[in-house]
Amino acid sequence: MMARRDLIIGLVILAVAIALPFTGMSRYFVSQITLLFIWATVVTQWNLVLGVAGIFSLAQMAIFAFGGYSTAMIGLYLEWNLWAAMPISAAVSVIVGLLIGLACLRLTGAYVALLTLSISVALFVLIVTDTDCIRYEGAVCRSLTEGWRGLGRFGDFGFRDWLGGRDYLKGNYYLALVLLAIATAGSILVVRSRVGLAFKALRDNRLYAASRGVSRFKYQLLVFAYSAFFTGLAGSVYAGNFTVIGPNILQLPLLLLLLSMLVIGGSGTIWGPLAGSVLLMVIDEILKEGIIQEYRTLILGVLLALFVMYLPGGVVGTLEVGLARLLQRWRSWSGSSAGNLDGGGEGRA
Amino acid sequence: METLIQVIVSGLTLGAMYAVGTIGLSLVWAALGMLNMAHGVLLAIGGYVSYTLATLWGLPPFLGLLASIVAGAIMGAALYYASVRRLNRHPAFEMNVIIATFGLSVAGENAILKIFGGYPYAQPFKAEGGFRLGGVHVPWHNLLIVGVAAVIMLVIAMVLSRTYTGRAIRATAQDREAARLMGVRVGAVFAQVLAIGGALAGLSGVLLSSITTLSPQVGFDPMLKAFIICVIAGLGNVAGALYMAFALGFFEAVIQFVIGVRFALPLMLLLVIVALIWRPYGVFGREDVSRL
Repeated sequence: MMARRDLIIGLVILAVAIALPFTGMSRYFVSQITLLFIWATVVTQWNLVLGVAGIFSLAQMAIFAFGGYSTAMIGLYLEWNLWAAMPISAAVSVIVGLLIGLACLRLTGAYVALLTLSISVALFVLIVTDTDCIRYEGAVCRSLTEGWRGLGRFGDFGFRDWLGGRDYLKGNYYLALVLLAIATAGSILVVRSRVGLAFKALRDNRLYAASRGVSRFKYQLLVFAYSAFFTGLAGSVYAGNFTVIGPNILQLPLLLLLLSMLVIGGSGTIWGPLAGSVLLMVIDEILKEGIIQEYRTLILGVLLALFVMYLPGGVVGTLEVGLARLLQRWRSWSGSSAGNLDGGGEGRA
Repeated sequence: METLIQVIVSGLTLGAMYAVGTIGLSLVWAALGMLNMAHGVLLAIGGYVSYTLATLWGLPPFLGLLASIVAGAIMGAALYYASVRRLNRHPAFEMNVIIATFGLSVAGENAILKIFGGYPYAQPFKAEGGFRLGGVHVPWHNLLIVGVAAVIMLVIAMVLSRTYTGRAIRATAQDREAARLMGVRVGAVFAQVLAIGGALAGLSGVLLSSITTLSPQVGFDPMLKAFIICVIAGLGNVAGALYMAFALGFFEAVIQFVIGVRFALPLMLLLVIVALIWRPYGVFGREDVSRL
């Protein structure tokens, strides 16, 4: 029954997303929704690591950066087509994800958060301070990552030639949508499978899980590799969509935005990450108007803190618990089912 | 020889700076089991309070330093009453407190940016002059920081071992429930520890920004280094964190001279990862044994 509910919700969202560009919305909104799809992909994958497997990794954007920068560098230095760069970027991201998973293998809780945050800050520092010339464009020195400026002119996905200058944004839009759809469907299948059960068992009590023969080594590496695959692809699509990529993707305000999407949507739930991404993109869009935009980061930070304090399950988690309670009350009131004492419902799917 | 003295002097200064920045963070983790991601903003607040009083209002720098300590303590206690107290009721406290303090810290940094702007200022609290040691210039200010770090360590150790408050803090750290049953007001201990941590952060903020410059992000890098130090030493091990602070200070000073500043943080991280694979609960940490 649960699987059918997820299928219906997913298909409805997909249908709306496919239809949206035909409503004649402005190019700005098409590109903003493309960005929403990319962030939503990252957040659903982060949810697998943080919400479902309970590993407090903050390295998601570092993995994303590896995917994006790989694509950019392959396009720029090897002059490959970006489509061909995508699988290689995904592979690079998986390797990076595995290494980070290995490094945190023996750590728990706050230690993981610290180590992964440090990894992404170190990556940021290395990119920003990268000034060693590897090639010259005329008299201008270019370093490997081009530091603060970021990489550009590595090509795109070719939608401009194929669909023309007016509609090429829609090409990127549907590419990002396909990625999000596959990543979301994949993560639902994982959460509902035996592997997902193992993730949750390790999250809820790793000692009990270990005593039942659930290998932390195997499943932690698995969840890191799996989520790194789609996160890296998201980075790749980001690079091809914007045709530039810079170290700003590793800065804290963006990490705050994505973490807010996850937490406010409902970490550990199936639809929370998607709901949170939509909600936060809308809020972010509202905060871009007028005088309030200067306080955008401030408001987001406080909002995140308030949510963790008063609704730690997020919007979707709280709704699910509330719905389950209502359903239970209704059932016991109508007297149709007396033995419904499992209480609480499923706060974390 | 000159290089060696130079490395020792800058290693000692870096070590003392890290020690000062780490001690508040480590104390809060040890007593409350919470990682305070807002520590960096408390450092920045300390620096800006001193700047406001001494530079903008023209008061003596010493008063600015005192005001920073008081402001840090107030902000620490405010953090408890505004957020941590509420979070403490939820079973996922350890994770939620990291998320909440992360949000508050980015918000706080943004608020400072709005009030003071991003322009870096010079910290007024600074000892002038210096002396020569084997051909190397050693500023008095560096010695002052080492001295202040030593005094703070002594005072904290005395408070923890000799006073009633210190006993209550240690009892809470060992077993919160048992402490409560013995009549310790755990809520008050939380507020006290966060206030002490905040006061230390306020003081460190002034010292740190007096060596670099004052900017809204001034606290972030020291906080990250403090995290690394705490992780290697074993989170919550205050004495271990101090040894590690000096060890990493020297490590960084050597790397700066041998390879360059750029690689200090990545190499430190590599060291952390190796250390943690070797000893997952920190070099000075104890393995926690759980009963099912």
